[in-house]
Amino acid sequence: MENGFIILFGLSMLYLAATSRFIAHIRLLIVQGVLLFLICACHFTGHNLLNIAFLTIETLVVKSIIIPIFLYKVLKKTKANRDVAANIPHFYCLVIASLILLAGFLIPNYFNDASTMKMISPFYFGVSLATIIISLWLITIKHKIISNVIEFIVMENGIFLLSLSVAKEMPVLVNMGVLLDVFIAIYILGLFVNEINKEFNDLEVSHLSDLKDYEE
Amino acid sequence: MIATILIFPIIACFLLLFIKNKFFANLMVNLYAIVHFALSLLLVFNLAEAKSIPYFGIDNLNGLFLLVLSFIFLMVAIYNNGYVKNFGQLDKKINKYSLMVLIFVFSMTGAILAQNLGIAWIFIEATTLSSAYLIYFNKTKHSIEAAWKYVFICSIGIALAFVGIIFLNIGQGELNTLDFTQLYKYAKNFDPFWLKLSFVFMLFGFGTKMGLAPVHFWLPDAHSEAPSPISALLSATLLNSAFLIIIRVFKILNIMGVDEWAKTMLYIMGILSIFVTAVFVYHIKNYKRMLAYSSIENMGILALGTAIGGGAIYAVILHIIGHSLAKASFFLTSGNVLELFETKRIKSVKGLNIADSKTAWLWIVSFLGICAFPTSLLFISEFLIIKTMFLNKQYIICALFVILLTIILWGMGRVVISMSFGKLSDEKNALIKNTKKKLCWVMYLPQIIMLILVFVLGVYIPPFLNDIIKLTITGF
Repeated sequence: MENGFIILFGLSMLYLAATSRFIAHIRLLIVQGVLLFLICACHFTGHNLLNIAFLTIETLVVKSIIIPIFLYKVLKKTKANRDVAANIPHFYCLVIASLILLAGFLIPNYFNDASTMKMISPFYFGVSLATIIISLWLITIKHKIISNVIEFIVMENGIFLLSLSVAKEMPVLVNMGVLLDVFIAIYILGLFVNEINKEFNDLEVSHLSDLKDYEE
Repeated sequence: MIATILIFPIIACFLLLFIKNKFFANLMVNLYAIVHFALSLLLVFNLAEAKSIPYFGIDNLNGLFLLVLSFIFLMVAIYNNGYVKNFGQLDKKINKYSLMVLIFVFSMTGAILAQNLGIAWIFIEATTLSSAYLIYFNKTKHSIEAAWKYVFICSIGIALAFVGIIFLNIGQGELNTLDFTQLYKYAKNFDPFWLKLSFVFMLFGFGTKMGLAPVHFWLPDAHSEAPSPISALLSATLLNSAFLIIIRVFKILNIMGVDEWAKTMLYIMGILSIFVTAVFVYHIKNYKRMLAYSSIENMGILALGTAIGGGAIYAVILHIIGHSLAKASFFLTSGNVLELFETKRIKSVKGLNIADSKTAWLWIVSFLGICAFPTSLLFISEFLIIKTMFLNKQYIICALFVILLTIILWGMGRVVISMSFGKLSDEKNALIKNTKKKLCWVMYLPQIIMLILVFVLGVYIPPFLNDIIKLTITGF
């Protein structure tokens, strides 16, 4: 069951790489939030139920309700629609993302006999690393700042999955801190998206290049 | 005691949310600066019994960092009194500004005092979020660009540092802790592969906040666009707090005996930071950016000193003190220059000594302090680093270090001299007659105090400070 959700999570990265409409990306964030909630719920069994319940519900609320709603509002305000001019055509994006994901599925198996790999579940580990790498790579090729924010959230989702891959649980306090930080970071980034839109009348990354060390 | 230092700003922030008065807001910043300084003195010198609270505490290593933070904050708060007067009659603006300054200093204090890697991580992230507003404070096109880059790059960096923390957790095996004392205690049982991997991520993550090349890109933009007191805080205290976390993680590898790997990384990033500064300072057009690059250089020196180890550790600690004092003074003086000339372009500023001789002298002496002119404290520290490199027979790195520092000295010296002397045009003269009224005595005093300290400490380090430095070396 758990593995099924993780595979779905990995596949959602391909969808992110292949689409350009922001509204589709936000829907994807909701899906990923729900998947993470389900993985979380399947993953933790037993100890300290109250903490775990709090963490899983917080995941659901922050990742799949609050952040998408907030981004949707930003989207409406800025009237941004899609990120057309990525540096690489979508087809190649899809191919490269698939290759990274494939590597993510395969690589942990090679370490399987190492004693320290006992501490992690290889499946989680591979998919989460692939997610982090794909989203970092997408940040570099996209042209609109709002897609950068979305990919940042996806990267945070990947890191969240990575923290679940450790066989023992991270201290709950830390996880809660992380969730809170992500939430505030998104809030601030979202505010800046609005401000940039007002100031520059556009959301192109390339316009943010006034500060430099030489004069033309 | 530790609880007070952390709870005071929270209460002050709540009060500021309800009482929107500029006098009250400024009072809170000053009050916190005084309370912070007094409590830090008591904590560091063990004058009162420090009741440790969970996750926070004072140990050999962080005492000095706390002292530097609180002293710089006190100085900046004094300067701030003159600076906020120029905002005009806007209660709301000063209120928000003071609120964010309080949160910013609170989060730096939390990061320094944290005895748990996870908590330290959370507080370092909090510094990013609170200072973002301060960088955007002037609400210009440029400041929003700087703030965006700052939040985005630092958030990604910090996220990568968290990946490092997860790897550290994996490498611990059955143990499950992020508490520093526990980590040091059991370090010998950790798995070297995961630990090395985690150090790479954490060095890049916290190195982003510290401003080490090649992940320094936010730094010149943010430092140059922030209001000058904030630039001083960013450069003199924020970079140190990120450095503290790197040292703490470095110590785990040191105990395990796999620090060769970490040292190589620190060497590369250190030299690269100094190199980047040398390249960019050569043709610099904006004097606040020049100071920001100088911060990158000094962080590079800290990384290099840590990598060399041995006698250089003493130098690193002196360098932290000296750099913080001299750079804060330099940035605050740059605030005066900006108030006078209303431009950050180097070419548009000439004849500072005619415009305002006090600012001009502070500008020159700050430069002498930062470029390690004897008897500046930085002279002693850089000299010790070079000496240690000689003793270790690292001649190539030493030569590279000296050449790059000379280029930086030349690049900065040229700018400082061209700004300080020369003729003032009539147009500028007219401008300065108006703008000079904005400067009051509190905008000179902190720099004078800090510069006197920098040059006196180079000759004489009082015994009590020496004791703390020795204590800090044991924490490395």
